Amino acid sequence: MLFFRPWIRPTLRSFSTFSARLQQQDGSRILRVVQRLIDERETTRSQISQDMSTPEDIARLRKLKESEPLQEAWDEWTEANKNLEDLKPLLSDPDPSMRSLASEEYESLDETRNNLLQNTFPSLLVPPSTTASLSALVELKSGAGGIESSLFLAELLRMYLRFATNSSFKSTIVAENENDGGGTKDAIVEIKGEGAYDAFRWESGVHRVQRVPATDSAGRVHTSTVAVIVLPLLEEKDAEKEELFSMSDVKIEVMRARGAGGQHVNKTESAVRLTHIPSGITVSMQDERSQHQNKRRAFQVLTARLMDQKITREIAERRATRNNLVKSADRSEKIRTYNYPQERVTDHRIGMSLRNLTSVMEGDALHDFISALKKDHEETQVEDMLRETEG
Amino acid sequence: MTLLSLLEKKWLRQAASSPAHFQSLLRRRRKGEPLQYIIGTQPFGPLNLRVRPPILIPRPETEHWAIQLADRIQNRPRRTLLDLGTGSGCISLLLTHLCPALSAHAVDVNPAAVELANENALLCSIDRFQAFQADFLHQDFPSHPSLSPPYDILVSNPPYIPLAEYLTLSDDVKKYEDPRALLGGNSGLDFYHAIARLAVRERFLSPDAIIALEVGHNQADAVSAILQSAKLRTDVWPDPWGIPRTIFAYR
Repeated sequence: MLFFRPWIRPTLRSFSTFSARLQQQDGSRILRVVQRLIDERETTRSQISQDMSTPEDIARLRKLKESEPLQEAWDEWTEANKNLEDLKPLLSDPDPSMRSLASEEYESLDETRNNLLQNTFPSLLVPPSTTASLSALVELKSGAGGIESSLFLAELLRMYLRFATNSSFKSTIVAENENDGGGTKDAIVEIKGEGAYDAFRWESGVHRVQRVPATDSAGRVHTSTVAVIVLPLLEEKDAEKEELFSMSDVKIEVMRARGAGGQHVNKTESAVRLTHIPSGITVSMQDERSQHQNKRRAFQVLTARLMDQKITREIAERRATRNNLVKSADRSEKIRTYNYPQERVTDHRIGMSLRNLTSVMEGDALHDFISALKKDHEETQVEDMLRETEG
Repeated sequence: MTLLSLLEKKWLRQAASSPAHFQSLLRRRRKGEPLQYIIGTQPFGPLNLRVRPPILIPRPETEHWAIQLADRIQNRPRRTLLDLGTGSGCISLLLTHLCPALSAHAVDVNPAAVELANENALLCSIDRFQAFQADFLHQDFPSHPSLSPPYDILVSNPPYIPLAEYLTLSDDVKKYEDPRALLGGNSGLDFYHAIARLAVRERFLSPDAIIALEVGHNQADAVSAILQSAKLRTDVWPDPWGIPRTIFAYR
């Protein structure tokens, strides 16, 4: 359970201030959890049979391998404690130079311990993401503000496409409704690649822009919004395994009557609408040039929405069993404000502001928000874990 | 002058290599040229087929029943298929693509269609497909040297529009697509009679052969009757708009 995907590893260093929140807590809680995991590891090791050949053994060996970093940190911790004990008598040594040497050494050991307690252990306790392999579907919908909202949506879309490219994800615009007066009314983008969902998921919510629209001659600052929904995207074969819906529950409709149809007419549009009857979810797709492709895309979106519901439900269930209050994941909540006059972007969930709006919209600064949000999420998970252990 | 939808404009923009090129594509479309000919391709199931005038542009109704047929025959052992009036090759290429055990012969009276179909096979990397020029209305057709009967599957989207209806079609069909792919004689049924004659012919089809034929919006009954008089049993498949579109026949 303490398996780390390689791409998480680099963030270890950025845990140097793993949490102001955790620091204030008693380090003994973290130690108790770590101690328990180390005990479990020992039990697992003792269960491995001599020739290491049973299927259970393979699972056990994998578990051991996964918890190796924790064992290493624990060994370091024990070692530091032992050295500290050995050092204690020297602190009151009659020789002043020996005393000062010992006290220096003591400080350095203490620092090692603190670092383990505050950074290394917490970062190793973050459970692996269950959605780490998933790609993402990002839906953008213009909200309040009319054309200004559509114009901003087009800019957000560009920002996400650039972010995807910089993160080595492959992005495709699946659907896009342009506005007659400029901008984009709504859009769906497919972001493919391992970790795409985990990177984008924190973008879900209402994005607010405050600026003087190009269309306003009086120069007044307007406030407009764009809603972003990030959905988990599964490979077609994995989607089948999840059994998110049965085909008999999906009503497939084709839009627009074609009169005689067949050879008689050559219509270019082949919109498809799906209705998932149990959930009432409907998906319309018309951006592709064939019915088959529109249908495929529509099923992709339907699958993603149902998968999203499933994940949300599982989170809610886990939290309900834990019986604690956790901040809601309400998608109608305003999550970020882009204030042009002040050149500032603020994420309201973590209270983080960047004073360089252009670098968010045109540069790499979105990475800063996303890694901060990811870190915040991981801290929350560790806190939850500690709370759970305390019962 | 045609009013263009935003979607069509988007597709043309994606197909254009420059803003000036886009404007010229728009002009062609506004004059009524079919979008598919301007772009030069039409997706058909998972395939992306090349299309060019005057070969019939694959229709969504055809895509729908061809996929449905593929689902039925997918897991059968090695089979041979004959496609009569193949045009772009769409039906038999899709079936061969989706059914790994299938190999197909496709014929068309128009050499330009034969060329296009073979080109599409190459584009889609399908080698179990061969198109050649032949007129299946001709009495000598069954002894054509390139044919290798008996076939297990016979498919066709033959010309089925009656002359009177043909004259009322809109320009984007009438002016650009080959009348030989559309006109089915005065009744629209000429080609079905020819197909029924082939079906009853000794050893042209295997004993458990199946036949799937696309029909015009009001021809399902008439074509079913023609096939039934050739001792075949028939089912009718509706298209996605609810119009009886495909006659599925078997012994």
